[in-house]
Amino acid sequence: MSAPGDAGVIHDIGYQHYEGPRLGRRYAALAIYVHSVRAAFGIGRSAKAKLLPLGLLGIACITSLILVVVSTQLGVTVLSYVGVASTFSYAITAFVGIVAPELVSRDLRNTLLPLYFSRPPQRSDYALAKLGALITAAFVMYAGPMLLMFVGLALSTDEGITGVFTEAGNLALGLLAAAIHATVIGAVALPLASLTGRRVFATGMIIGVFLLTAPVSGTLRALGDGATGQLAGLLNPVDLLSGVDNWLFGEEFVQVGSYGPIYGLTAVVLTAAGTALLLRRYKKVKS
Amino acid sequence: MNLTIAGLTARALFGRRRLLLLLPMPLLLIGLTVLAAGTSADPAQWGPIVLGDLGLGVILPLTALIIGSSVLGLEIEDGTITHVLSKPVPRSEIVVTKLAVAWGATAAVTAVPLAIAGAIAGSPRLAVGLGLGTAVGALVYTALFLALSLLSRRPVAVGLVYIMLWENLLTRFVGGARVLSVQEYSTTLAGGLAQTELLTGRLLPITAALLAIVLTALGAAVATARLRSFTLAGETG
Repeated sequence: MSAPGDAGVIHDIGYQHYEGPRLGRRYAALAIYVHSVRAAFGIGRSAKAKLLPLGLLGIACITSLILVVVSTQLGVTVLSYVGVASTFSYAITAFVGIVAPELVSRDLRNTLLPLYFSRPPQRSDYALAKLGALITAAFVMYAGPMLLMFVGLALSTDEGITGVFTEAGNLALGLLAAAIHATVIGAVALPLASLTGRRVFATGMIIGVFLLTAPVSGTLRALGDGATGQLAGLLNPVDLLSGVDNWLFGEEFVQVGSYGPIYGLTAVVLTAAGTALLLRRYKKVKS
Repeated sequence: MNLTIAGLTARALFGRRRLLLLLPMPLLLIGLTVLAAGTSADPAQWGPIVLGDLGLGVILPLTALIIGSSVLGLEIEDGTITHVLSKPVPRSEIVVTKLAVAWGATAAVTAVPLAIAGAIAGSPRLAVGLGLGTAVGALVYTALFLALSLLSRRPVAVGLVYIMLWENLLTRFVGGARVLSVQEYSTTLAGGLAQTELLTGRLLPITAALLAIVLTALGAAVATARLRSFTLAGETG
């Protein structure tokens, strides 16, 4: 029992003080981003955590190798680079459905957000870093197989250096399509994942949105002729992206007729709305 | 069957609002069927998409995945499974009870809406075939996903990859993959019972039925074996 009036003392128990530079908010946000991209692929974690994401990437790469072999053997292009973006999107929704909860739901479940928000990064920094990481991870899932396909096709071209340049030009278009696909899919998935700390339900919600809307869009496309059929693709994110590919690159998976700009606009609005909802969610979330 | 465990599981499953998340799926299915049946289009045009692709291909496996991996999985995640395991109840009884509840719940939210959709789309016979085919599929799926929730720390992720890549993608290109696709069993059985061209299974009905029985038994056996030597551990680091 201390005597009244006796002021408390904080003893210096000999911890070393940090006197180096404080790296600040941007560095912290970048650190969250880099850590999240690594976490998406299980890098720096156990082999079990790597199995699914890297396994999916491996399957995608094997598929693109098969495409290269078939194209060179038959002498015809089975699938263009943009076509790869269109066809892989379905599988990449599965990847995003697994990875998005991994990025945000764990932090919610383990109530880690107070730790983040008591440090320099703002709530919006956290949300945008996580979104950026998810988009990057999805982009890698597209770009990896495309690069592999480019190497294979460029090596087997019989038009010399012009052939290589043609391939490189096509690859650039493919990568652009991949960036669009990754951005839209990420911006749809992450706000859903941020709603719950249970990865089970986060995955369920994301996949629900992607898988359940697909047959709706498919039915309307099968039933409707003309405008209805051409606009039905708007209802499903993957069909929407295929529609954007049709509009921008002339890839014929989803017919959009003259409604191309509407597809493009919807993709932009969807991305903006997803990002806004994510920022709103993290502005409100308890920490 | 152990009624106490069944009651607790059912309460954990239905007691929260999260079951409402499953509600949009049957509504979407029936709504889409009504919409399509209202048009003049031939059911052969939209039937395979709505009943096959959406109903048996997405709604059934997704519901079974969420329910099947939650009945034991959530208890493991929360650590409350120790309370069940420390009671003198045989492991097989725990597994059978959990499986029964998961099957009942999955069948209730999938087989009934699919039967209704079948009745709207075609005939009472189609409704019966779809209902029974879905119920069988629900049993196989829940048994597999229940076992998966004991084998893996991330059953939903693994189950999802199986549903999306194996059942919905690989089976289209590789015929042999169909033998191990639960979706094929339910489609084959539903189509066989209903005698309709709307659902064309690509397996023999007898093969599908036998494989369904084998996989269900396998799922239950693996789950029981895993639960016998169960150790609690944290999330994969």
